[in-house]
Amino acid sequence: MKLSYIWIVGILLGLSVSVVAQDELSPERKQAVDSLALEKVRDLSKYISIIGSKDTPWSEANRVIDRAEELFMEGSEIGVSSITKTEISYYNVRKYFERLMRLNYKKVEIEWYNIEYMSDLKKQPDGTYVGVITIFQKFKGYDTEGRLVYQDTTKKDITVFVKRKETQIGGRLIGFWDVLLGDMRVKETSK
Amino acid sequence: MKIIFKDTAKIMMFLLVAIIIAGGTTSCKSKKKLAREKAAAEYAKKVEQSKNDLTAILNGSTSWSLDEQDERLSVIKSYNIDDVEVTELISKVEAKLSMDRAEAQRKAEEERLQREEEKRRKDEAQKYSTINDKLKSIALAKSVDASNAQIRLTLKEFATPDVPVLIIISKAGGFNDYDRPTTISKFLNYLKDKQQYRFMVDAVKRDGLGKITELELIKK
Repeated sequence: MKLSYIWIVGILLGLSVSVVAQDELSPERKQAVDSLALEKVRDLSKYISIIGSKDTPWSEANRVIDRAEELFMEGSEIGVSSITKTEISYYNVRKYFERLMRLNYKKVEIEWYNIEYMSDLKKQPDGTYVGVITIFQKFKGYDTEGRLVYQDTTKKDITVFVKRKETQIGGRLIGFWDVLLGDMRVKETSK
Repeated sequence: MKIIFKDTAKIMMFLLVAIIIAGGTTSCKSKKKLAREKAAAEYAKKVEQSKNDLTAILNGSTSWSLDEQDERLSVIKSYNIDDVEVTELISKVEAKLSMDRAEAQRKAEEERLQREEEKRRKDEAQKYSTINDKLKSIALAKSVDASNAQIRLTLKEFATPDVPVLIIISKAGGFNDYDRPTTISKFLNYLKDKQQYRFMVDAVKRDGLGKITELELIKK
Protein backbone atom coordinates (compact mmCIF):
# COMPACT_ATOMS: atom_id res chain seq x y z
CA MET A 1 0.00 0.00 0.00
CA LYS A 2 2.79 2.38 1.04
CA LEU A 3 4.72 1.52 -2.10
CA SER A 4 1.79 2.43 -4.35
CA TYR A 5 1.49 5.83 -2.59
CA ILE A 6 5.17 6.45 -3.31
CA TRP A 7 4.62 5.54 -6.97
CA ILE A 8 1.63 7.92 -7.24
CA VAL A 9 3.55 10.78 -5.59
CA GLY A 10 6.51 10.07 -7.89
CA ILE A 11 4.35 10.15 -11.01
CA LEU A 12 2.62 13.37 -9.89
CA LEU A 13 5.99 14.98 -9.18
CA GLY A 14 7.26 13.91 -12.59
CA LEU A 15 4.19 15.38 -14.29
CA SER A 16 4.47 18.67 -12.41
CA VAL A 17 8.18 18.96 -13.26
CA SER A 18 7.29 18.34 -16.93
CA VAL A 19 4.55 21.03 -16.87
CA VAL A 20 6.86 23.55 -15.18
CA ALA A 21 9.63 22.73 -17.66
CA GLN A 22 7.29 23.41 -20.57
CA ASP A 23 6.02 26.70 -19.12
CA GLU A 24 9.38 28.04 -17.98
CA LEU A 25 11.24 29.17 -21.06
CA SER A 26 14.94 28.56 -21.57
CA PRO A 27 16.76 31.42 -23.37
CA GLU A 28 16.77 29.33 -26.56
CA ARG A 29 13.00 28.74 -26.46
CA LYS A 30 12.34 32.37 -25.46
CA GLN A 31 14.31 33.47 -28.52
CA ALA A 32 12.15 31.23 -30.72
CA VAL A 33 8.99 32.80 -29.24
CA ASP A 34 10.42 36.33 -29.69
CA SER A 35 11.16 35.54 -33.34
CA LEU A 36 7.70 34.07 -33.82
CA ALA A 37 6.05 37.30 -32.59
CA LEU A 38 8.28 39.41 -34.85
CA GLU A 39 7.40 37.13 -37.77
CA LYS A 40 3.68 37.73 -37.14
CA VAL A 41 4.29 41.49 -37.42
CA ARG A 42 6.24 40.91 -40.65
CA ASP A 43 3.28 38.84 -41.89
CA LEU A 44 1.00 41.78 -41.11
CA SER A 45 3.36 44.08 -42.99
CA LYS A 46 3.10 41.83 -46.07
CA TYR A 47 -0.69 41.59 -45.76
CA ILE A 48 -1.05 45.39 -45.48
CA SER A 49 1.00 45.92 -48.60
CA ILE A 50 -1.10 43.30 -50.50
CA ILE A 51 -4.42 44.76 -49.29
CA GLY A 52 -3.32 48.32 -50.09
CA SER A 53 -1.96 47.47 -53.54
CA LYS A 54 -4.32 48.37 -56.40
CA ASP A 55 -2.86 45.43 -58.36
CA THR A 56 -4.37 42.91 -55.93
CA PRO A 57 -7.60 41.34 -57.27
CA TRP A 58 -10.64 42.04 -55.08
CA SER A 59 -11.12 38.37 -54.09
CA GLU A 60 -7.47 38.02 -53.14
CA ALA A 61 -7.59 41.23 -51.07
CA ASN A 62 -10.63 39.93 -49.19
CA ARG A 63 -8.95 36.60 -48.51
CA VAL A 64 -5.88 38.41 -47.21
CA ILE A 65 -8.06 40.66 -45.01
CA ASP A 66 -9.43 37.49 -43.37
CA ARG A 67 -5.89 36.23 -42.75
CA ALA A 68 -4.73 39.62 -41.45
CA GLU A 69 -7.72 39.86 -39.11
CA GLU A 70 -6.80 36.48 -37.61
CA LEU A 71 -3.53 37.98 -36.42
CA PHE A 72 -5.33 40.33 -34.02
CA MET A 73 -7.08 39.96 -30.69
CA GLU A 74 -10.77 40.64 -30.85
CA GLY A 75 -11.59 44.31 -30.32
CA SER A 76 -8.14 45.60 -31.31
CA GLU A 77 -7.84 48.96 -32.99
CA ILE A 78 -5.48 50.44 -35.54
CA GLY A 79 -4.54 54.13 -35.57
CA VAL A 80 -4.58 56.21 -38.75
CA SER A 81 -2.80 59.55 -39.02
CA SER A 82 -2.09 62.08 -41.73
CA ILE A 83 0.34 64.94 -42.15
CA THR A 84 -2.64 67.16 -43.03
CA LYS A 85 -4.51 66.47 -39.76
CA THR A 86 -3.42 66.62 -36.16
CA GLU A 87 -5.90 64.10 -34.77
CA ILE A 88 -5.43 60.34 -34.98
CA SER A 89 -8.42 58.17 -35.86
CA TYR A 90 -8.75 54.65 -34.50
CA TYR A 91 -10.62 51.94 -36.37
CA ASN A 92 -11.37 48.35 -35.55
CA VAL A 93 -9.12 45.98 -37.47
CA ARG A 94 -11.63 44.87 -40.14
CA LYS A 95 -12.77 48.43 -40.81
CA TYR A 96 -9.12 49.57 -41.12
CA PHE A 97 -8.32 46.92 -43.74
CA GLU A 98 -11.50 47.63 -45.71
CA ARG A 99 -10.66 51.36 -45.76
CA LEU A 100 -7.10 50.52 -46.80
CA MET A 101 -8.41 48.43 -49.71
CA ARG A 102 -10.59 51.33 -50.92
CA LEU A 103 -8.12 54.21 -50.60
CA ASN A 104 -8.68 56.81 -53.28
CA TYR A 105 -5.39 56.53 -55.13
CA LYS A 106 -4.53 54.92 -58.44
CA LYS A 107 -1.52 53.24 -56.92
CA VAL A 108 -0.51 52.68 -53.31
CA GLU A 109 2.86 51.59 -51.94
CA ILE A 110 3.20 50.64 -48.28
CA GLU A 111 6.48 49.54 -46.83
CA TRP A 112 7.32 48.65 -43.22
CA TYR A 113 10.86 48.81 -41.96
CA ASN A 114 12.87 48.83 -38.70
CA ILE A 115 10.53 46.25 -37.17
CA GLU A 116 11.92 45.63 -33.69
CA TYR A 117 11.04 45.17 -30.05
CA MET A 118 10.54 48.40 -28.13
CA SER A 119 9.70 46.43 -25.02
CA ASP A 120 10.69 42.75 -24.72
CA LEU A 121 8.11 40.05 -24.12
CA LYS A 122 7.58 39.82 -20.35
CA LYS A 123 5.60 37.19 -18.50
CA GLN A 124 2.45 38.46 -16.79
CA PRO A 125 0.87 36.86 -13.70
CA ASP A 126 -1.68 35.04 -15.90
CA GLY A 127 1.14 33.42 -17.93
CA THR A 128 0.70 35.62 -21.00
CA TYR A 129 3.83 37.21 -22.40
CA VAL A 130 3.31 40.84 -23.38
CA GLY A 131 5.64 43.09 -25.37
CA VAL A 132 5.63 46.05 -27.73
CA ILE A 133 7.02 46.02 -31.26
CA THR A 134 7.76 49.28 -33.07
CA ILE A 135 7.53 49.64 -36.83
CA PHE A 136 8.04 52.47 -39.30
CA GLN A 137 5.56 52.66 -42.18
CA LYS A 138 6.28 54.52 -45.40
CA PHE A 139 3.09 55.25 -47.32
CA LYS A 140 2.98 56.56 -50.90
CA GLY A 141 -0.18 57.36 -52.88
CA TYR A 142 -0.12 58.09 -56.64
CA ASP A 143 -2.79 59.65 -58.89
CA THR A 144 -3.96 58.42 -62.30
CA GLU A 145 -1.08 60.24 -64.00
CA GLY A 146 1.36 58.33 -61.82
CA ARG A 147 2.28 61.41 -59.77
CA LEU A 148 3.12 60.99 -56.11
CA VAL A 149 0.33 62.98 -54.45
CA TYR A 150 0.73 61.94 -50.84
CA GLN A 151 3.43 60.38 -48.73
CA ASP A 152 4.19 60.08 -45.07
CA THR A 153 6.24 58.05 -42.61
CA THR A 154 4.56 56.85 -39.44
CA LYS A 155 6.04 55.28 -36.37
CA LYS A 156 3.64 52.80 -34.81
CA ASP A 157 3.69 50.67 -31.67
CA ILE A 158 2.00 47.27 -31.73
CA THR A 159 1.25 45.43 -28.50
CA VAL A 160 1.95 41.70 -28.78
CA PHE A 161 0.38 39.00 -26.62
CA VAL A 162 1.84 35.49 -26.58
CA LYS A 163 0.20 32.67 -24.67
CA ARG A 164 0.88 28.96 -24.50
CA LYS A 165 -2.18 26.91 -25.45
CA GLU A 166 -2.96 23.29 -26.19
CA THR A 167 -5.03 21.55 -28.83
CA GLN A 168 -5.73 17.97 -29.93
CA ILE A 169 -4.52 17.07 -33.42
CA GLY A 170 -4.70 13.51 -34.72
CA GLY A 171 -5.12 12.23 -31.17
CA ARG A 172 -2.02 14.11 -30.01
CA LEU A 173 -1.98 16.97 -27.53
CA ILE A 174 -0.07 19.80 -29.19
CA GLY A 175 1.30 22.68 -27.09
CA PHE A 176 1.63 25.82 -29.17
CA TRP A 177 2.41 29.50 -28.76
CA ASP A 178 -0.52 31.66 -29.78
CA VAL A 179 0.67 35.09 -30.88
CA LEU A 180 -2.00 37.77 -31.10
CA LEU A 181 -1.54 41.43 -31.92
CA GLY A 182 -3.32 44.10 -29.91
CA ASP A 183 -3.79 47.79 -30.64
CA MET A 184 -1.55 49.47 -33.18
CA ARG A 185 -0.94 53.01 -31.88
CA VAL A 186 0.42 55.90 -33.93
CA LYS A 187 3.44 57.48 -32.20
CA GLU A 188 4.75 59.95 -34.80
CA THR A 189 3.88 61.03 -38.32
CA SER A 190 6.18 62.96 -40.60
CA LYS A 191 6.54 63.73 -44.27
CA MET B 1 129.57 19.13 1.13
CA LYS B 2 128.41 16.23 -1.00
CA ILE B 3 126.41 14.87 1.90
CA ILE B 4 124.70 18.21 2.41
CA PHE B 5 123.82 18.36 -1.28
CA LYS B 6 122.41 14.79 -1.22
CA ASP B 7 120.24 15.59 1.81
CA THR B 8 118.95 18.77 0.23
CA ALA B 9 118.03 16.87 -2.94
CA LYS B 10 116.19 14.25 -0.88
CA ILE B 11 114.32 16.93 1.01
CA MET B 12 113.42 18.68 -2.23
CA MET B 13 112.19 15.42 -3.73
CA PHE B 14 110.16 14.70 -0.59
CA LEU B 15 108.62 18.17 -0.70
CA LEU B 16 107.82 17.77 -4.39
CA VAL B 17 106.09 14.44 -3.81
CA ALA B 18 104.19 15.93 -0.84
CA ILE B 19 103.09 18.91 -2.94
CA ILE B 20 101.96 16.63 -5.78
CA ILE B 21 99.99 14.38 -3.41
CA ALA B 22 98.46 17.33 -1.56
CA GLY B 23 97.61 19.05 -4.83
CA GLY B 24 96.01 15.90 -6.23
CA THR B 25 93.77 15.46 -3.18
CA THR B 26 92.64 19.09 -3.23
CA SER B 27 91.83 18.86 -6.97
CA CYS B 28 89.76 15.70 -6.44
CA LYS B 29 87.86 17.32 -3.59
CA SER B 30 87.15 20.38 -5.71
CA LYS B 31 85.82 18.29 -8.65
CA LYS B 32 83.33 16.49 -6.39
CA LYS B 33 82.19 19.80 -4.95
CA LEU B 34 81.72 21.18 -8.41
CA ALA B 35 79.74 18.12 -9.46
CA ARG B 36 77.51 18.47 -6.38
CA GLU B 37 76.98 22.13 -7.08
CA LYS B 38 76.21 21.38 -10.70
CA ALA B 39 73.68 18.68 -9.72
CA ALA B 40 72.06 21.02 -7.19
CA ALA B 41 71.82 23.77 -9.81
CA GLU B 42 70.30 21.34 -12.31
CA TYR B 43 67.77 20.14 -9.73
CA ALA B 44 66.84 23.71 -8.80
CA LYS B 45 66.41 24.51 -12.49
CA LYS B 46 64.22 21.40 -12.94
CA VAL B 47 62.07 22.40 -9.93
CA GLU B 48 61.71 25.94 -11.28
CA GLN B 49 60.83 24.72 -14.77
CA SER B 50 58.32 22.23 -13.32
CA LYS B 51 56.66 25.00 -11.28
CA ASN B 52 56.50 27.23 -14.36
CA ASP B 53 55.03 24.48 -16.54
CA LEU B 54 52.48 23.40 -13.92
CA THR B 55 51.40 27.01 -13.34
CA ALA B 56 51.07 27.56 -17.08
CA ILE B 57 48.91 24.43 -17.40
CA LEU B 58 46.78 25.59 -14.48
CA ASN B 59 46.31 29.05 -16.00
CA GLY B 60 45.61 27.57 -19.41
CA SER B 61 48.37 29.68 -20.91
CA THR B 62 50.18 26.90 -22.78
CA SER B 63 49.68 26.01 -26.41
CA TRP B 64 49.97 22.29 -25.58
CA SER B 65 47.23 19.88 -26.43
CA LEU B 66 45.51 17.98 -23.62
CA ASP B 67 47.68 14.91 -24.41
CA GLU B 68 50.85 17.02 -24.36
CA GLN B 69 49.83 18.51 -21.00
CA ASP B 70 49.23 14.99 -19.64
CA GLU B 71 52.64 13.91 -20.93
CA ARG B 72 54.37 16.89 -19.32
CA LEU B 73 52.63 16.17 -16.01
CA SER B 74 53.84 12.54 -16.14
CA VAL B 75 57.41 13.67 -16.78
CA ILE B 76 57.27 16.13 -13.87
CA LYS B 77 55.82 13.44 -11.60
CA SER B 78 58.66 11.09 -12.62
CA TYR B 79 61.19 13.60 -11.21
CA ASN B 80 59.81 12.84 -7.71
CA ILE B 81 60.51 16.43 -6.69
CA ASP B 82 60.47 16.87 -2.94
CA ASP B 83 58.90 20.32 -2.82
CA VAL B 84 55.58 21.27 -1.18
CA GLU B 85 54.69 23.82 -3.86
CA VAL B 86 55.32 21.35 -6.69
CA THR B 87 53.28 18.66 -4.92
CA GLU B 88 50.34 21.06 -4.53
CA LEU B 89 50.62 22.21 -8.13
CA ILE B 90 50.66 18.59 -9.34
CA SER B 91 47.47 17.78 -7.47
CA LYS B 92 45.75 20.95 -8.82
CA VAL B 93 46.88 20.20 -12.38
CA GLU B 94 45.67 16.60 -12.08
CA ALA B 95 42.23 17.88 -11.06
CA LYS B 96 42.20 20.45 -13.86
CA LEU B 97 43.29 18.00 -16.55
CA SER B 98 40.67 15.54 -15.38
CA MET B 99 37.99 18.24 -15.71
CA ASP B 100 39.37 19.33 -19.09
CA ARG B 101 39.33 15.73 -20.27
CA ALA B 102 35.68 15.35 -19.18
CA GLU B 103 34.78 18.64 -20.91
CA ALA B 104 36.58 17.56 -24.09
CA GLN B 105 34.68 14.27 -24.04
CA ARG B 106 31.39 16.14 -23.52
CA LYS B 107 32.19 18.45 -26.45
CA ALA B 108 33.18 15.54 -28.66
CA GLU B 109 29.89 13.81 -27.78
CA GLU B 110 27.95 17.01 -28.47
CA GLU B 111 29.66 17.36 -31.84
CA ARG B 112 28.95 13.73 -32.66
CA LEU B 113 25.25 14.25 -31.83
CA GLN B 114 25.21 17.44 -33.91
CA ARG B 115 26.73 15.59 -36.86
CA GLU B 116 24.16 12.83 -36.45
CA GLU B 117 21.33 15.40 -36.25
CA GLU B 118 22.67 17.15 -39.34
CA LYS B 119 22.82 13.84 -41.19
CA ARG B 120 19.30 12.99 -40.05
CA ARG B 121 18.07 16.37 -41.28
CA LYS B 122 19.78 15.89 -44.62
CA ASP B 123 18.29 12.41 -44.94
CA GLU B 124 14.86 13.78 -43.99
CA ALA B 125 15.23 16.66 -46.46
CA GLN B 126 16.09 14.13 -49.13
CA LYS B 127 13.14 11.98 -48.10
CA TYR B 128 10.74 14.91 -48.35
CA SER B 129 12.47 16.75 -51.19
CA THR B 130 9.45 16.39 -53.53
CA ILE B 131 6.99 18.00 -51.13
CA ASN B 132 9.55 20.64 -50.09
CA ASP B 133 10.09 21.54 -53.75
CA LYS B 134 6.34 21.86 -54.35
CA LEU B 135 5.92 24.17 -51.35
CA LYS B 136 8.90 26.24 -52.45
CA SER B 137 7.54 26.59 -55.99
CA ILE B 138 4.33 28.16 -54.60
CA ALA B 139 6.33 30.77 -52.69
CA LEU B 140 8.63 31.53 -55.59
CA ALA B 141 6.01 31.56 -58.38
CA LYS B 142 6.34 34.58 -60.67
CA SER B 143 2.68 35.67 -60.43
CA VAL B 144 -0.41 35.18 -58.29
CA ASP B 145 -1.96 33.07 -61.07
CA ALA B 146 1.11 30.83 -61.33
CA SER B 147 1.13 30.47 -57.56
CA ASN B 148 -2.59 29.59 -57.51
CA ALA B 149 -2.00 26.94 -60.19
CA GLN B 150 0.75 25.41 -58.04
CA ILE B 151 -1.55 25.49 -55.01
CA ARG B 152 -4.25 23.56 -56.90
CA LEU B 153 -1.69 20.94 -57.95
CA THR B 154 -0.20 20.61 -54.49
CA LEU B 155 -3.58 20.31 -52.79
CA LYS B 156 -4.12 17.08 -54.76
CA GLU B 157 -1.41 15.50 -52.60
CA PHE B 158 -3.51 16.11 -49.47
CA ALA B 159 -6.57 14.24 -48.22
CA THR B 160 -8.54 17.49 -47.74
CA PRO B 161 -7.79 21.25 -47.82
CA ASP B 162 -8.26 21.18 -44.03
CA VAL B 163 -5.39 18.80 -43.32
CA PRO B 164 -3.60 20.14 -40.22
CA VAL B 165 -0.21 21.77 -40.61
CA LEU B 166 2.02 21.97 -37.53
CA ILE B 167 4.97 24.33 -37.54
CA ILE B 168 7.79 23.65 -35.09
CA ILE B 169 9.47 26.89 -33.98
CA SER B 170 11.93 25.28 -31.54
CA LYS B 171 13.13 21.82 -30.57
CA ALA B 172 15.17 22.99 -27.57
CA GLY B 173 15.26 21.11 -24.27
CA GLY B 174 13.53 18.04 -25.64
CA PHE B 175 10.26 19.90 -26.29
CA ASN B 176 8.70 20.79 -29.59
CA ASP B 177 7.34 24.33 -29.48
CA TYR B 178 4.77 24.98 -32.18
CA ASP B 179 3.21 27.99 -33.86
CA ARG B 180 -0.62 28.12 -33.89
CA PRO B 181 -1.72 25.10 -36.01
CA THR B 182 -3.16 25.94 -39.42
CA THR B 183 -4.63 24.08 -42.40
CA ILE B 184 -2.85 23.16 -45.62
CA SER B 185 -5.12 25.44 -47.66
CA LYS B 186 -4.31 28.45 -45.47
CA PHE B 187 -0.63 27.53 -45.33
CA LEU B 188 -0.23 27.28 -49.10
CA ASN B 189 -1.88 30.70 -49.49
CA TYR B 190 0.42 32.01 -46.78
CA LEU B 191 3.42 30.89 -48.84
CA LYS B 192 1.93 32.68 -51.85
CA ASP B 193 1.47 35.90 -49.83
CA LYS B 194 4.86 35.80 -48.15
CA GLN B 195 6.75 34.77 -51.31
CA GLN B 196 9.21 32.95 -49.04
CA TYR B 197 9.67 29.34 -48.04
CA ARG B 198 11.67 29.21 -44.82
CA PHE B 199 10.60 25.77 -43.65
CA MET B 200 11.55 22.13 -44.00
CA VAL B 201 9.20 19.18 -43.89
CA ASP B 202 9.83 17.34 -40.62
CA ALA B 203 7.15 14.65 -40.75
CA VAL B 204 4.30 13.52 -42.99
CA LYS B 205 1.35 11.26 -42.20
CA ARG B 206 -0.54 9.58 -45.03
CA ASP B 207 -3.80 7.68 -45.36
CA GLY B 208 -4.33 4.33 -47.10
CA LEU B 209 -4.54 6.10 -50.47
CA GLY B 210 -1.19 7.76 -49.95
CA LYS B 211 -2.74 11.21 -49.43
CA ILE B 212 -1.20 13.41 -46.75
CA THR B 213 -3.33 13.69 -43.61
CA GLU B 214 -0.90 15.67 -41.41
CA LEU B 215 2.12 17.79 -42.25
CA GLU B 216 4.74 18.86 -39.76
CA LEU B 217 7.22 21.55 -40.73
CA ILE B 218 10.17 23.06 -38.96
CA LYS B 219 11.20 26.72 -39.26
CA LYS B 220 14.66 27.22 -40.76
